Amino acid sequence: MLAEGIRAHRWWIVAAAVGFAVLLTAPAYLTPFQVRVGQLFLFSAGLGVAWTILGGFAGYWSFGHTAFIGLGAFVAGAFELHVPLGSPVATMVAGTALGSLACAAVSAVIAYPILRLRGIYFAIAMLGVSQVFAELTNNVDAFKGTMGINMPNAVPASMEPQTFFYYVFVAATALTLGVAFWVKVSRLGYGLVSIREDEDTARMLGVPTERYKIWAFVLSATLTGLLGIVYAHALGYITTGSVYRTDFSLNMIVYALLGGIGTIVGPVLGSALMVWLTQVVLGRLLDVHMFITGALLVAIVLLAPHGLVGFARKLLRRGAGGGA
Amino acid sequence: MSLILQTILDGLVLGGLYSLAAVGFSLIFGVMNVVNLTHGVIVLIGAYLAYAFWHGLGVDPLLAIPLVMAALFAFGYVYQRGLIQLAVDRSSLLASMLVTFGVALMLRNVLVLVFSPDFKSVTPSYAFTVFFLGPVTIDLVRLSALGASLVLLCVLAGVLRWTAVGRVIRATAQQDLAARLCGVDVRHVYGITFGVSAAFAGASGAIIGIVVPFSPPDEALWTINAFVVVTLGGVGSPSGALLGGLLLGLISTLTSQLIGPQFPNAMMFLILVVMLLLRPSGLLGNAFSGSR
Amino acid sequence: MRRFGRRDFVKTVGATAAAAGLVAAPAVRRADAQAKTIVFGGSVPLSGRAAETGLNVNNGYLMAIKYLNEEMGGVEIGGEKYKLELKMFDDASDPARATTLIQRQIDEGVDFFLGSFGSNIVLPTAAITERAKRPMVQSGGGSDQIFTQGFKYVFGMFPRASRQFISSVEFFKAMSPRPKSISVIFTNDAFSKTNAEGAAKDSKAAGFDVLEMYGLPEQITDVSSVLASVRSKTPDVLICTTHDQNSLLISRQMVATNTNVPLLYQTLGPQLATYRETLGKFATGICVQIYWDERAPYKDKFFGTAQKFAEYYRKHVQRPIAYHTAGGAACIVTYVQAMQAAKSIKTEPVRDALAATDVDTLYGRVKFTPEGDGDAILLGPAVGQVQKGVVQLVHPAAAKTGTLIYPTPKWSEKT
Repeated sequence: MLAEGIRAHRWWIVAAAVGFAVLLTAPAYLTPFQVRVGQLFLFSAGLGVAWTILGGFAGYWSFGHTAFIGLGAFVAGAFELHVPLGSPVATMVAGTALGSLACAAVSAVIAYPILRLRGIYFAIAMLGVSQVFAELTNNVDAFKGTMGINMPNAVPASMEPQTFFYYVFVAATALTLGVAFWVKVSRLGYGLVSIREDEDTARMLGVPTERYKIWAFVLSATLTGLLGIVYAHALGYITTGSVYRTDFSLNMIVYALLGGIGTIVGPVLGSALMVWLTQVVLGRLLDVHMFITGALLVAIVLLAPHGLVGFARKLLRRGAGGGA
Repeated sequence: MSLILQTILDGLVLGGLYSLAAVGFSLIFGVMNVVNLTHGVIVLIGAYLAYAFWHGLGVDPLLAIPLVMAALFAFGYVYQRGLIQLAVDRSSLLASMLVTFGVALMLRNVLVLVFSPDFKSVTPSYAFTVFFLGPVTIDLVRLSALGASLVLLCVLAGVLRWTAVGRVIRATAQQDLAARLCGVDVRHVYGITFGVSAAFAGASGAIIGIVVPFSPPDEALWTINAFVVVTLGGVGSPSGALLGGLLLGLISTLTSQLIGPQFPNAMMFLILVVMLLLRPSGLLGNAFSGSR
Repeated sequence: MRRFGRRDFVKTVGATAAAAGLVAAPAVRRADAQAKTIVFGGSVPLSGRAAETGLNVNNGYLMAIKYLNEEMGGVEIGGEKYKLELKMFDDASDPARATTLIQRQIDEGVDFFLGSFGSNIVLPTAAITERAKRPMVQSGGGSDQIFTQGFKYVFGMFPRASRQFISSVEFFKAMSPRPKSISVIFTNDAFSKTNAEGAAKDSKAAGFDVLEMYGLPEQITDVSSVLASVRSKTPDVLICTTHDQNSLLISRQMVATNTNVPLLYQTLGPQLATYRETLGKFATGICVQIYWDERAPYKDKFFGTAQKFAEYYRKHVQRPIAYHTAGGAACIVTYVQAMQAAKSIKTEPVRDALAATDVDTLYGRVKFTPEGDGDAILLGPAVGQVQKGVVQLVHPAAAKTGTLIYPTPKWSEKT
């Protein structure tokens, strides 16, 4: 099935490979600011794609995926603070692995009950989960959410921190894209799409819907956590407010919708556009950037309801129709 | 003993406010399945309008409620017909949620530009009156807020139950196709529902303004509170909102008293999640078409 | 409120986006074109929770720069005249945004930075400016973590949060009759919590009995249960290390539930006119930490006195003056004096001059600790008390403008 998927999507894979090759060489000729924008783009794209595994493929929209950004970051931070290994890099790797694992474990535990909810109820429940995590992190002293955690510095002395984390983000985002692609072309992916289209019928036809949904949820949560942990390291110091942000949760949806929901390339395009607009174009504005961001969101939903991918398809179709 | 009594009373009073602040959200959700993330900002607009009437013209905030409601009804109707409906038609219900998120960002920015980011506070003459009932203290502002909330909730319940408009709204909520077949202009009904919802959100804002100081970033708090109230009580009805609100108030003060003052929010969301898992249609379970 | 139709807003978006593009482009060019301009960069939170203070600080920066450019015709450093320029952006209290955009300014060659608020913003941005070896003087981040990182280029106008109660505890000791017990209310954010812990530690060390520490979530709508507890276990002094809006919520609800304490002491809140107007007669007797007062006898090289700064400010800005405004202006004044002392606008000498700074400014005598935060005695707070609607300084003795009322009357007896 995988081989077939690779064959069917070979041009996409080539495009992704070229894209990543460009990304790998980019820091050589970009300014540090552009590298940081690149970091943010990779982070956002990764989040959008991780969210898509559940929200885009299976149609289970989560309003609370920031729960896993925060959970991963704080587990990794607490571990690295208390159990420093020999070298900072080893500590960071161990912390990242442990934090991601924590996300996997927690999501696996809550997956069964919470995935029985559908539509907006699932979305709200996830919002609730993220708020519970955030409140507990902030208000239980042991979790250090209020005072914050200094993440150990793993940047090699020969490297600029933004370049180092840029490459870490490239790796994490590539992994996320890879997993998402694998899900998409595997039996799991087809199962998820059938769940999105009509869950009850899918189950009736013998699709193991429960198992598939749980897999999608756990994968999505773990990848989100992984990206969150990298983000926390890149910041260097985190409090509850830096990693448990409802706007992260909502932005993941924005990226997916803006690019084209249910596709993998969608969130990548969506995040590229949003990051460029909010950081580069609107970066210097003092007081109206929020208004413009809001207005853009509205405009996007109204003008390109099926996202950039849908828009492009429509153009292509119209072009083809005109030619014939 | 008197401490517990006091805590329960405080919880109920606070709950009345939460109920009114959430009823509009609940109505929109129940009738058209739209999650209105603009809700909190509309609550705040109500508070700011009441502040403007009070500060500029000396109108008592409770008396200004009808004016605030009228203004926001018009706003809500136009907002729904002009923007939300368009988004639902062109895209999807869930995408309409993004539109409401975008509008919330815009309105919050506008509030900052018009009223500055400073917090505002409305203090009518009765703002600081206290009276005692045996061992418990009752603060008049919060009590009158509770009273006003209950009256408004009853009015809304009455309108929905006995008037022609109310019947049409309920019919549309149950089966929009059937309602359309009976000659109901569903879009108009949606607009009215949104208007009613915004009006009640605004009224609650006016009341909230005399109880607590407010500033533009508070909008998120009121949206999220509405989520919790609706999940606790059930979607689409004033009685559900009332029940959910009172419960939320009680949970809040009891947690703060018995577990620790820093935990009411954590507890509130924990209960939200547990409630959803156990009884997704709310305690009263009288949801319209929203739940499954 | 104007409603935007779809067509309108498409137009607005187009126009604003275009405008944004236009604004962005010349700003880059200008930086190279005018060599004799010193640019100050950095972020302020102008949207989100901290926007109120952000606006006050930004006004301070703006006014100081306007004054130095227009009234003084620029500043002279090492025999050359320079104009000053301010280039701030809104970080919206989002660390990702703040770190990305601070990097842009570093790339564009901004050498001197002013700071934002909240340790979760200041710390990651300071790490970037520190690495680039560019100084940052800020009046917003008071949390201890900022000053315990070993940063050498970061300076703060305020003492670190855990030291901000040293002068207040002196005040408690000087009160007569001397209070015995203290309770503290705080919210769970780094600043408020560190402040509360500092207050508790210093009070205990001075022999006061600390009855309760009430922690609250960051955002509150109701404190009835905390107040019920305060009524049943009443301290002599109730300290609230809360931010403005929460302080008002607490004091309002104290009045409305008839919760009386002999002294209510809030770190932030009563210094604002809005706060005092809202409470009216009930504000009388509430104490507040005051970092700056325009009546204070501070001398300034450029403005003359604190009073003259306040007058200049009021001539140009409608918004009431706050001590954060003076703190912001002091950042600029301190920078300029350090540059003059160093006779240079290179970052290294300016940093060294900042570290050695000991000058009188409109904000008081500015001197930094070796870790970079403000000297806890020189830049620590005085204590004010609201009396007849205005804040009178009641501690330290040297700055007194009024006599402390203690114990304060019950709410029902206030006139």
